[in-house]
Amino acid sequence: MPYHEFEVSKVIPERKLHAVVKGPGEDLTSCLPKGYLNTIPGSISERGCAYCGAKHVIGTPMKDVIHLSHGPVGCTYDTWQTKRYISDNNNFQLKYTFASDVKEKHIVFGAEKLLRQNILEAFDAFPEIKRMTIYQTCATALIGDDMAAIAEEVMAERPDVDIFVCNSPGFGGPSQSGGHHKINIAWLNQKVGTLEPEITSDYVINYVGEYNIQGDQEVMLDYFKRMGIQVLSTFTGNGTYDSLRGMHRAHLNVLECARSAEYICDELRARYGIPRLDIDGFGHKALGDSLRKIGLFFGIEDRAEAIIAEETARWKPELDWYKERLQGKRVCLWPGGSKLWHWAHAIQEEMGVKVVSVYTKFGHQGDMEKGVSRCGEGALAIDDPNELEGQEALRTLKPDVIFTGKRPGEVAKKMRVPYLNAHAYHNGPYKGFEGWVRFARDIYNAVYSPMHRLSAIDISKDDYETGKGFVTRRMLSDADLSEDAKASPITGYTGKFDPIPDLRKKTDYPVFARRVAAAE
Amino acid sequence: MTCEVKAKDRTGTINPIFTCQPAGAQYASIGIKDCIGIVHGGQGCVMFVRLLISQHLKENFEIASSSVHEDGAVFGALDRVETAVDVLLSRYPHVKVVPIITTCSTEVIGDDVDGLITKLEEGLLAEKFADREVHLLPIHSPSFVGSMVSGYDVAVRDFVKKFAKKGAPNGKINLITGWVNPGDVKELKHLLKEMDIDATVLFEIESFDSPILPDGSAVSHGATTIEDLQATGSASHTFALNRYEGAKAAQLLEKKFKIPAVIGPTPIGIRNTDSLLKQLSQATGKPIPTSLVKERGIALDAITDVAHMFLADKKVAIFGNPDLVIGLAEFCLDLEMKPTLLLLGDDNAGYVNDPRIKALQENVDYPMEIVTNADFWDLEDRIKNKGLELDLILGHSKGRFVSIDYNIPMLRVGFPTYDRAGLFRNPVVGYSGATWLAEQMANALFSDMEVKKNKEWLLNVW
Amino acid sequence: MAKKEKKDIARANYPKLYTSDPLADLDADTREKVSELENYIMKNCLWQFNSRGWDRRKQNAGILGMTAQLLIGEDVEISTAIDKCYWVDAVLLARNFTARCAWLGGMGAEELRTIMTKLHARIDWLTIDGSLNEELTVQNY
Repeated sequence: MPYHEFEVSKVIPERKLHAVVKGPGEDLTSCLPKGYLNTIPGSISERGCAYCGAKHVIGTPMKDVIHLSHGPVGCTYDTWQTKRYISDNNNFQLKYTFASDVKEKHIVFGAEKLLRQNILEAFDAFPEIKRMTIYQTCATALIGDDMAAIAEEVMAERPDVDIFVCNSPGFGGPSQSGGHHKINIAWLNQKVGTLEPEITSDYVINYVGEYNIQGDQEVMLDYFKRMGIQVLSTFTGNGTYDSLRGMHRAHLNVLECARSAEYICDELRARYGIPRLDIDGFGHKALGDSLRKIGLFFGIEDRAEAIIAEETARWKPELDWYKERLQGKRVCLWPGGSKLWHWAHAIQEEMGVKVVSVYTKFGHQGDMEKGVSRCGEGALAIDDPNELEGQEALRTLKPDVIFTGKRPGEVAKKMRVPYLNAHAYHNGPYKGFEGWVRFARDIYNAVYSPMHRLSAIDISKDDYETGKGFVTRRMLSDADLSEDAKASPITGYTGKFDPIPDLRKKTDYPVFARRVAAAE
Repeated sequence: MTCEVKAKDRTGTINPIFTCQPAGAQYASIGIKDCIGIVHGGQGCVMFVRLLISQHLKENFEIASSSVHEDGAVFGALDRVETAVDVLLSRYPHVKVVPIITTCSTEVIGDDVDGLITKLEEGLLAEKFADREVHLLPIHSPSFVGSMVSGYDVAVRDFVKKFAKKGAPNGKINLITGWVNPGDVKELKHLLKEMDIDATVLFEIESFDSPILPDGSAVSHGATTIEDLQATGSASHTFALNRYEGAKAAQLLEKKFKIPAVIGPTPIGIRNTDSLLKQLSQATGKPIPTSLVKERGIALDAITDVAHMFLADKKVAIFGNPDLVIGLAEFCLDLEMKPTLLLLGDDNAGYVNDPRIKALQENVDYPMEIVTNADFWDLEDRIKNKGLELDLILGHSKGRFVSIDYNIPMLRVGFPTYDRAGLFRNPVVGYSGATWLAEQMANALFSDMEVKKNKEWLLNVW
Repeated sequence: MAKKEKKDIARANYPKLYTSDPLADLDADTREKVSELENYIMKNCLWQFNSRGWDRRKQNAGILGMTAQLLIGEDVEISTAIDKCYWVDAVLLARNFTARCAWLGGMGAEELRTIMTKLHARIDWLTIDGSLNEELTVQNY
């Protein structure tokens, strides 16, 4: 039996079906935890709500939009300034958030009039912004406000504005994933096909399930532009509202985070015949193969190969330097959803670490299928972990580093496990050839932190070494390496603190002649 | 009259200064030892508040959710609370106090949490946990009423109401700190120690600043015990330092147990700290010791170094929890500065009757605006579109982009201050707090002078 | 030009092909070879994990079918954009297989067809017919 029962969860036996250890001879037909089921109340799960899944994860990365939540102020405040989805328009969507500020009288008498006033006020405060998304919250869902009707009214009154309505109250599903689903389908039904995009290339894609965390999207867009591909829209990081209305005109949907955005790709495939190509922007091999596939699709594989050759030559030696020093380091890969499968195999192959556990806060069984497949034998896979289970796992697995969220990272810190932020990254971007080295660098810095070694010492009991004024990371990481390795001229990552500004300034993209006049 | 008090003149909120009531109730709950609250609502109401607290303190705190999903929203979700209490108590054998904190959704649904608690006390607790000391209490904190400030106030009152008992006079005072940081509690306890006053501190959160221990065993939680809470009914006086964060509990103790309540002043700045010490002295008969004369003198010495040379006439906007904002404004005036815009959070109608605000209105000799139910647009719009000029902003991290985008130096004060390291460790109250505030304000201005090359040479000699 | 297509009403009614591991009785040598190919797919590919069973059936058939043709050296027919997307994954798969599994080079067409048929059956079993994923039969996306 591959199921793993936590000591701390014996009193909630249904939890047993939510954790597995992949043993010898086990495959997905015998080893897969349950997933995306209702949370056990009081278990201190890490899950969020469907409102945040819709608004905070997928909606808000859209950059030229007033994001207005219809409800009391807390939902808005709480989902503001806790993520790192940047944009190239001075981060409007990070800086500004809007709440209709529902109070008791509105609960009693309705809040539609309030919402209407709010919409007008918000547009008036930011006259240059003409697009808005409105998000339902628990309170306004329960009082039954008709947000769509109000939005229609305002759009009729002000023809230059366009409003998207997302009905995804916090209670709508077991986790934030409920909100991912609702906003995917709502966007498709309400907005896709309502604007015809300008087609400027023979090769047109939507880049889907990509949220521009610390600039990931901009790194990938650089590659696409170098290949002469038109990225019609990004769903949704650094994406514009109007570009996403034209998703139906792409030739290919390139999908990163299937967890949060496969719904819209599947529907676009079914309704418009646009193929769905799942890719990994993480890891040199996976990213290289991803670019090759996109190149092949359009008959421009040579352009992909040129990028891969150039980027690999530049960054692979530095990646290998870290790999040599991270051999066998034990990793708990405990993200929200997609990173567990995006990273599980690639970090083992390309950084030399060993994934001893994966978990998913809000993933479905489909994510675990990918995650369990991509781990080695013996890895503990946990669905919807709770606080005590996480602590028990850390105590028994004794990882060298954990990739997880900010708050669980604090739990790990106390247990003397260094943490990297799996959602927002420590010093990203992590996508792209360079980004992957940045990730390796961050892991190395965490694992070989001299402070981490000091925190193990009990000065009241232990016989500890004195006389040293410092220890460097190299002194720790290279102690057991061969003389050749120690003598390597490479000393780790040599890129900039922030590689994104250079990308934004870049203009020297190749111009490729179009094969045929636009037939659209 | 140059000091106007007005409410925000828009219906909506653009960039909120405050979050909602359950967050305040949760912040209060983590101050109690062996307490894990259950927030009755959607999971985000807990997940994000835990995240917020961890952003501010760089620590993890345990708070549970009843995880209300769709069916609960339709048919009522009391069964979720029942399960939550059972699961929580079963897995956390040390837990003794479980507040059930309501949210907008469960208040709209109309779940009878009070009735359920009675049912659980007679059923689950009596049967399954008969050998355990467990206290359940309801805290009604609908998000559409008040703000995190009132949520904190309500929760403190409800905890006191639940536990306070009349016993033999214990010779202690109750000190209700309001929503403060570990550094503040440390400073307040220090002042009490110097005064030789025995106090029950609500909440004892110095321990929020917790260590990494070699065996990895440390956890962060408050240290106020059930016994502490019970003893509040036997105290000689209650000092609620903040009018809007704890006064309700002080009033309850006064009404129910005839314990005199001293409400305010928020001891920010020299003058307010002086007032607190005098009130403490009067209430307890304990003299103010010479050690505090010396500490006060050190603070005055430090402040004198920066006040009239650097801080005088600097125009300041201040936002955050009302008691903090008012206290900071008062101290700024003592420092010869000009607080020109005070942004107070929720729609509390009581702000206009606050004697401190009345005093500002009567005495300020330059234009000052006080906005209630305020948001950050009240600040940014004035800077961007209405010609407000500022030298300094005082407030918490959520306002960081106003400072960044308009190149106005900002000292992070209040909750949350996640974009600066370790601020929770420093007090803003007491003489130490006065020193810290004045010096940090000066340093913020100094850095700004250097970044902007604005008389940056001035500090060659100082 | 893209056009709206009717919903595939047969979606949730895709037929079950296997009730047990179709490779259970395979000889050890072939089994090991299939495992090597299977392992590459499971560690490196994502196409086999579409969210619904009917899509997985199409993905597996499309991509593994074309991979077999590519390995054998047959022409692959591509008539739709979706076919092209299968082909893209098939090309990469065939290349990675060839690069990793030298033994493939020594196989004739029939042997290749056989082993790819076994692999297809195995992947269908793992991802569809033997899958524990309870969402595969959900009717909508």
